[in-house]
Amino acid sequence: MYYLALLTGDEGEAVAHPGTAEFDAEVEQYAAFDARVAEVIAGGAALYPSADAVTIRQGGTDTLVTDGPFAEHAEVVGGFYVFDVPDLDAATDLVRQLPAVATGSVELRPLVQWLPHDEPGPDWWMALLWEQADSALTPGTPEWDAAVAEHERFGERVGPVLRGGGALQPPSTATTVRGSDGPPLLTDGPFTETAEVVAGLYLFTAPDRRAATEIAAKIPIGPGGGTEVRQVVNLGA
Amino acid sequence: MSAARPAVDLDGVYRAEFGRAVATLARFTGDIDLAEDAVQEAFAIALRTWARDGAPANPGAWITTTARRRALDRLRRESARHGKEHEAVLTAPGPADIEVSELPDDQLRMIFTCCHPALAPESRVALTLRLVCGLRTAEIARAFLQSEATVAQRISRAKAKIRHAGIPWRVPPAHLLPERAPTVLAVVYLLFTEGYFATAGPAAVRDDLCDEALRVGRLLCGLLPVEERAVRAEAHGLLALMMLTDSRRSQRRRDDGELIPLEEQDRGRWDRQSIRAGLNCLLVAAEGGGPYLAQARIAAAHAVAPTWAATDWTAIVAAYDELLGYTPSPAARVNRAVAVGFRDGPEAGLRALEEVADGSRVADGQPIAAARADLYRRAGRLTEAAQNYRIALVATGNDAARGYLHRRLAEVEHMCRGEGPGA
Repeated sequence: MYYLALLTGDEGEAVAHPGTAEFDAEVEQYAAFDARVAEVIAGGAALYPSADAVTIRQGGTDTLVTDGPFAEHAEVVGGFYVFDVPDLDAATDLVRQLPAVATGSVELRPLVQWLPHDEPGPDWWMALLWEQADSALTPGTPEWDAAVAEHERFGERVGPVLRGGGALQPPSTATTVRGSDGPPLLTDGPFTETAEVVAGLYLFTAPDRRAATEIAAKIPIGPGGGTEVRQVVNLGA
Repeated sequence: MSAARPAVDLDGVYRAEFGRAVATLARFTGDIDLAEDAVQEAFAIALRTWARDGAPANPGAWITTTARRRALDRLRRESARHGKEHEAVLTAPGPADIEVSELPDDQLRMIFTCCHPALAPESRVALTLRLVCGLRTAEIARAFLQSEATVAQRISRAKAKIRHAGIPWRVPPAHLLPERAPTVLAVVYLLFTEGYFATAGPAAVRDDLCDEALRVGRLLCGLLPVEERAVRAEAHGLLALMMLTDSRRSQRRRDDGELIPLEEQDRGRWDRQSIRAGLNCLLVAAEGGGPYLAQARIAAAHAVAPTWAATDWTAIVAAYDELLGYTPSPAARVNRAVAVGFRDGPEAGLRALEEVADGSRVADGQPIAAARADLYRRAGRLTEAAQNYRIALVATGNDAARGYLHRRLAEVEHMCRGEGPGA
């Protein structure tokens, strides 16, 4: 079973930006984690801060493009992992080893499907797909199948730039892990307490932000949803 | 032949066998929903056939075997429709019509799954009552004063989460037990306190909750692996606490529902068997520690005291100190001060209570006012006692507790008048 672990945290002054010593120290902690559990990691990436994000929404017949993340949450997505493990306990076991749990929270959600990807390169971008929790679709329904067909058409249109991605099970399957003095605290539900939840993600390549936004604008958006474009940190550099 | 059979107590069989059967079927099918439906169907068949043919010699085995057949039928129909086989069942060993053997661990697995920390706390309680205890949705709704639709939706969402989020159906491995067991114990204790202390809802339903909490508590103590000493000790601490408290269940209220303070209860009518069982559990519990053990020690000191006056207050104060080491709750601090009042006299109790009140947000709360009022009354400071009973009454919405406070207030007011002006 594939689980998406969304690493979130407060993007205050404490956040380590790529290129700083703090960031490098964090990267080392994650590299140690990666080496330790390499065989169950099926994907993952670190993201540049959300201030550099671009968000695409559907406004009537127009496409609205704005700077910044999709929603103003106290906790912002800073990266993700995809684990291939048998059950939620195994996924939780992995999450509790992540430094992000101590400083923020990690949302765990099963993926309906997952397209594994290679090591992210310098021209990689991520599209984080947001939706309204109350309009989340359920796998197996005709609405779900229609949405899948739309995404397949998107895949055919943009073709070779796609590097990976997947759709999430509905938010009712989410579990959020937060740090505490004792063992990490599990709660039922997504990391956000607002109506917006993550529905899925894509990884793709693009030469620059404008090109990335153009590709992401072709991704189907549900009612009240949006696509948040984030640059992937090239850790191999 | 059927005419000679005794009447069938299907409700009794349902209560006794439902949880066990669902747990067995869940192992067999790998699907809790399917397990529950199959057992439900088996009982529906029993309702039709037992009345006609009489109950089988072993009703539990009959239900499990029938439920297994129903589950297999359903899986075969579904695999035929989807053109794929359901691995969990179709590869299960043995022909379809043999009896499914029960494993004691099945129910323990079910308890841990229902109380998984990735489920919302209120869902854990509802699921445990439904799948482990076999309470019907309507009964759970009555017990928690919620609508049946709310409870039904909560249960179905929780089952969906177990299935889709991949919550494993198992007893957690040893390294996870110490953090997972408290979640389970908390659910069991909540069931008990809801039944024992809740003032709303029909009395019979509340008694059911106490009984179910005790049943799951016994199951846990019986099933937790012996080598998990700390976790087992904690579960025994909880069971001891529940048994010792429960020994006073029939004496805790007057017929009109008013709470009877421990001091005024008829000790001769406390349930001796419950007390003995509780004290036995306490022996196992004492191999470990934890907040339930501390509370069980308090309950035990009351249970063994021949009279209120002969209560071992030194032991009780020590147990409160132990409890405060785990959970420094305002209520426990107030109760400790009250115990000090019995050990060293009401004035000492009042001093201890002022320490609790100092800089504490419980200063104006009902428990502290009621405790203060009682201590003033014992100290003979009746005006202050009356004043504090009035404060406590304003802050109390609970009818059963109000009855007690009103009675005490009338008593001290009467004494004030009897002893002249300014008393």
